[in-house]
Amino acid sequence: MNRLTGAAAEKDFLTQVIEKSGQNLLECLQCGKCSGGCPISSEEVGGPRRLIAEILYGMKDEALKDPTWWYCVSCGTCMTRCPVEINMYRVATVLCEMAEHEKVKPCEPDIHLFEELFLKSVEQYGRAKELKVVMNFNMRTLRPFKDLSQGLSLMLKGAIDPKEMFHKSPKDKRIARIFSRVKEKEARG
Amino acid sequence: MKVSYYPGCSLESTGKPYNDSTRQVCDALGVELLEVPDWVCCGSSPALKMNGLLSASLSGVNLALLEKQDLTDVVAPCPFCYRRLLSAQDDMAQDAELKEKVQEAIEADLAGNLKIHNLVELLREKVGLAAIADRLVKPLAGLKVVPFYGCYMVKPRQVTHCADPEDPTALDEILVALGAEVLDWDFKTECCGAGLSLSKTETVIELSGRLVREAAHRGADAIVVACQLCQANLDLRQGQIGKKDKKKYHLPIIYFTQLMGLAFGLAPAALGLKHHLVDPVGLLKKKGLIE
Repeated sequence: MNRLTGAAAEKDFLTQVIEKSGQNLLECLQCGKCSGGCPISSEEVGGPRRLIAEILYGMKDEALKDPTWWYCVSCGTCMTRCPVEINMYRVATVLCEMAEHEKVKPCEPDIHLFEELFLKSVEQYGRAKELKVVMNFNMRTLRPFKDLSQGLSLMLKGAIDPKEMFHKSPKDKRIARIFSRVKEKEARG
Repeated sequence: MKVSYYPGCSLESTGKPYNDSTRQVCDALGVELLEVPDWVCCGSSPALKMNGLLSASLSGVNLALLEKQDLTDVVAPCPFCYRRLLSAQDDMAQDAELKEKVQEAIEADLAGNLKIHNLVELLREKVGLAAIADRLVKPLAGLKVVPFYGCYMVKPRQVTHCADPEDPTALDEILVALGAEVLDWDFKTECCGAGLSLSKTETVIELSGRLVREAAHRGADAIVVACQLCQANLDLRQGQIGKKDKKKYHLPIIYFTQLMGLAFGLAPAALGLKHHLVDPVGLLKKKGLIE
């Protein structure tokens, strides 16, 4: 059983999550409505109730390595049903930012890779080039033929254009500039 | 009625039928959609997850461009884009520090005075059921459908201000106005697995599977959607869901705008109905909605 020791580090972590997310986790009743409705809660993926418990107990390492916030698709079901209206996808953002800042290895490398490739596409082109992201993801995860049959059927139906994958899209310097300005701001704190 | 139009990245690619049918249906209803020039990606769930300021700033760029259009009303058919625009504007109204940071990052000022709509709400509330019924030339008689809202259009309640995020009715009402037989079901706003489609395909097969199974159990001919991500997951994963269940499902996943187009007598070929993996054309022919 994990018991609070009152160490400053425990309080620091909790305070940081509350301040950065704007979500008062101290109000959490641990009622479990969130995990009950959460689409990604399972035996392997603990879900929001357990994640909040980890944060409340100052279990920083566990919280930053909890797959729940990687799996979170920000569906908003937990917040909708939460008696004290905690927005968990805001908590997920804070944990993701902290984990990256502290160089914690992503415990869900596939989700991390997909999200990174998606953002890379936005940074380069200003818009996500979906088919390029799909192709890059399948290549990088060494599964080049994943979903091939669906892809081919859609091509034959004319629903997707394979040229989109290889076509040189124009770069959007505006957005690259915004990415770098955001990074600068974060570096300054 | 003139409305600013923010299509979003998917509607230029895998969600093209949604884009095409939306434009035609709005045109038929006298809603002039003016696409916001030079719009950028809202960052979708990856930005929202990985970097809060970046996510707000990307929406900030779009909000600044939309404000320049000076039309007040904005519509985004993609529910995620819709929720990001709405949420970013609301967050900045409540948090002056965030607003300042975003304005600095995007090098533009924001007034924060836009009325941001999702497409279902715009058509249900601003256009109205009477105007939709007026345009009806081919009622969807005998077509049994379950309406699927997904998550982002309605949840969380505190962000979308949806009156009843567990049991919304706007899409039901539009479909009834079109003459379709709308079946009751409990999964209107359950999650399809969303952006985990590629990275956690098994999870998506499980979650979308629950929806397909229930819709089939209720005796639906089709699932009607208002989100290109829901469309993609339910359509592309249906074969794998069937394999798991040792059954062959054939539930077309049709955009509500495609059905509106058909009911309005628009040319089926231009509505992108042939672009779905689970082919809806056979069903629609059988029901006499396509020749």
